[in-house]
Amino acid sequence: MNSVETADWKLVTDLIQDRFGLAFDGVRREILESRLRPRLRELRQGSLREYYLYLRFHPEREAELNRLASLITNNETYFFRETNHFEVLVKHVLPPLRPSLRERPFKILCAGCSSGEEAYSMVITFQNAGLEMAGITWEIDAHDVSPERIARGRQAVYDPNSLRVCDPETRQRYFTHSEGRYRLKERHQKGVRFFETNLVAPNGTLGWALFDAVLCRNMLIYFGDAAFDSVIGLFGRSLRPGGYLLLGHSESLLNRDTPFIPVSVEGGVVYRKGPAAS
Amino acid sequence: MATHVRPSVAGRLAALDALTEDPGREAAILAALEDETPAVRQRAIRMATRFIEPEVLGELVADQANATRRNAAIVALERQGPYAVRHLQTMLGRPELDVVMFALQVLARIGDPTAVPSVLPLVRHPDLNIAQSAVEALGQLRNVEAVPALLELLHGELWLQLAAIDALGEIGDPRAVGPLVALVPDSVVADPAVRALQRIAAPESLDLLLARLPQVRERPLRDLLLLTIGVVIDLHPDPVPVALQYSAELELDPSGAVLDDLREILGAEPPDGDPEQVDQQDPDAIKDATSLLRAATALAVTAGLRSLFPLVLTRIATDEGAAWGEGVFRRCSKAVTPALRELLQHTDPRVRRGALLVGVFEAEDLPRVLRHLEEADELVRAAACRAMGLIGEAAVVPLLVKRLREGEAAEQATAVSALSHFSVESMQELASCLGPEVHEPVLLGALEVLGKQGIGRFEARITDLTRHPSHAVRRAAIRAAAKLPVEQAEVLLLRALADRHKPIQVDALQLLIELGGSTTVPTLVALLGRSDSLRYHVIRALGHMRATDAVQRLESLYQDCGPHEQAEILLALIRINGPGVAGFLRHRLSEPETELRRIAAHGIAGLADRAQLPLLLSLASDGDWNVRNEAARGLGLLGLTECRDPLLTLVRDMEPVVAKTARTALDQLRMTASTPA
Repeated sequence: MNSVETADWKLVTDLIQDRFGLAFDGVRREILESRLRPRLRELRQGSLREYYLYLRFHPEREAELNRLASLITNNETYFFRETNHFEVLVKHVLPPLRPSLRERPFKILCAGCSSGEEAYSMVITFQNAGLEMAGITWEIDAHDVSPERIARGRQAVYDPNSLRVCDPETRQRYFTHSEGRYRLKERHQKGVRFFETNLVAPNGTLGWALFDAVLCRNMLIYFGDAAFDSVIGLFGRSLRPGGYLLLGHSESLLNRDTPFIPVSVEGGVVYRKGPAAS
Repeated sequence: MATHVRPSVAGRLAALDALTEDPGREAAILAALEDETPAVRQRAIRMATRFIEPEVLGELVADQANATRRNAAIVALERQGPYAVRHLQTMLGRPELDVVMFALQVLARIGDPTAVPSVLPLVRHPDLNIAQSAVEALGQLRNVEAVPALLELLHGELWLQLAAIDALGEIGDPRAVGPLVALVPDSVVADPAVRALQRIAAPESLDLLLARLPQVRERPLRDLLLLTIGVVIDLHPDPVPVALQYSAELELDPSGAVLDDLREILGAEPPDGDPEQVDQQDPDAIKDATSLLRAATALAVTAGLRSLFPLVLTRIATDEGAAWGEGVFRRCSKAVTPALRELLQHTDPRVRRGALLVGVFEAEDLPRVLRHLEEADELVRAAACRAMGLIGEAAVVPLLVKRLREGEAAEQATAVSALSHFSVESMQELASCLGPEVHEPVLLGALEVLGKQGIGRFEARITDLTRHPSHAVRRAAIRAAAKLPVEQAEVLLLRALADRHKPIQVDALQLLIELGGSTTVPTLVALLGRSDSLRYHVIRALGHMRATDAVQRLESLYQDCGPHEQAEILLALIRINGPGVAGFLRHRLSEPETELRRIAAHGIAGLADRAQLPLLLSLASDGDWNVRNEAARGLGLLGLTECRDPLLTLVRDMEPVVAKTARTALDQLRMTASTPA
């Protein structure tokens, strides 16, 4: 990479980091390059600098930034992925809240929800745990930066890849099959709301001290330091006192100044907001 | 009692940013180099790179009591690059062994070849760690002067031997081939020696490596040797005569070990297309398997190992990822064609298809090839179409046109590319694919051929099709129109600028640029008066056409545009490089919009004009990193000795990208200085 390309690369990655909080270095740089290359060809942009100027100034830049969000964020997800966190919600987070949940819904924030597989898996888990029978309702606010993925989540129609760990019986029980795709049955979509949100520049839809738990798995690993701290601060504000933050297995708040304390549950570590923290 | 509250991370970072040029700055930076927060340390390292002299940083390296600060100082010295080299060389003479070792490592990472003479004597240092670090540094410095000294170490102490092998591989000098091959297969360093030979990849090693292959008994070493042979074959100007000498030896080897390995590699299943499966596989393992497959193919084909050809051809016919195999066969076409002729009769259709895909057949082979048009397998028929195109006998055009009209999708696609090989005169048959009654895919295929060939006799039909209701057909038709004689082409393309389908407008512009007709520039300049979305593309087009006649209009338009068009105008003017561009760009440096200033600086740097030196020197201290980066690039392009000092400042810039550009510029300067006039 020559000096012009290096500088152009920095312009684009700085813009991505400012806008989406995502850091692209090391091997992730190659991933970004491979994703951008076809897009540059499509737009007939001869260099990263030209593409950067397109993102900065072109009248269609907002649409392109939305498209970029889908290109650069990881949409790797599927139904019933790492279900132990759902168990934590049902067995540890929910029981002490039962008295108050007679008056209000169990509120979960699903951050970086992609096309909804995780949020809907939670619904199925709650239904199978008999929450409806116990008169408990829930609201799962699912947020993602990509409008395209949010639209897919609202449609709730999935490719077989999203059901890769579902056995035939599970597929039949929760989905209707048509022309090689699977539609999640309507009753399993209950309580899920989708929001197109850039968590690095939130538009206020997260709310203040609203949620009992935040699920944010395998998203923070792609964030630069500033974006990481900002998003953790946002989760801290959005959770009720004593609320839980559930991160992916490779993510940690170790050595960071946050309002959370680590708690060992079900053989894993989750984070709990202190009662007095803001 | 008042308690001292330590500032937060953000506060400590802000305090560093606020440091001014006063005596306290150095102490504050040095203190921050040992901050417990990585973000603060990183900021301090950037500042140390810029503001702390190498002598001071060198003393921190010698301070064994403070490892955090020592590590930070090492990073800062490395970032100072050429600015620190002289002091690092003096550090090589210090009594503390670890200081010498660190200095060696930093010099190696800086990669300045002027360091070689001071590193070379240290390969004989009595302390083995120092000697080993010196050998490693010479490898990283990649200077051929070190080769004789490194060769002497090949039979010495094991650790030095290993380091020397590795360094010789890094340097890549072919003088090392013989001594390294001598270490294969029966020494403890055979494996690293083969890896080094792979990096050297000298043509003269092919013979020696092939001779060693049957002697290697252990599979891992044999695979490594095979990979190396594959790399050497790839880079060899004419590997066939060398490799063919080993054909019989490899085919008739009584142990059969090499052939068995090759069979296993060539017959292995390609990686599964299922994303879940791919996710679960180690990407390095996939890469290794592919490299091994390529090497096995290269050896089998180059050495003419005929018993393996069916396996190789099956692979090429069935694995989309193995298209490179065609290139291997083409490279050896003379040697392999007789075998491929025979394999056209093979019982397995995959082998027949593979042979058709890779063969370089002659006119005399045409009857053999045509026979395959009758096969049941569509893919074999498509491969036959391709071979017909490559043979290039005009008599087959009607057959290919028939395939385009009546064949399956794969045949149609191959027929289109095959037809592109034939002369314009032989194409009258194509008329049957252009009539109003033909299906759109056939029409598109025929237009694609015309888009490559340009056949004037179909002008009227092409003109009609540029008004077709389907935008896919119109788009293909304007591509075909671009191949008509310039006058007609220009008219059709200019008309396509008003097409209601935007991609067609943009295509038309691109084709006009390529055409370069006489009325194109005036027409495009006239289009600058329209303030629609096409104007952005018109500005770009004028830039790509280097349209000097458009300069005045572009400059006058600049003030009336939004920033996205202003940026394009600047880029276009830079491309056109008209006589007054420097003055126009200079004015843009005072724009309030940072991006426009950056583009202007980019243009000024690229002029490589001595008259711009004072301006570049002032840009070198600009507050914006990108402008400083352009200044560094521009100073490098000027290549003047008076650029050296400002570049030595920029090499310590707090922004690593600027420092890197300045380092590259200094390298250019050094090369210019060392090149005889």
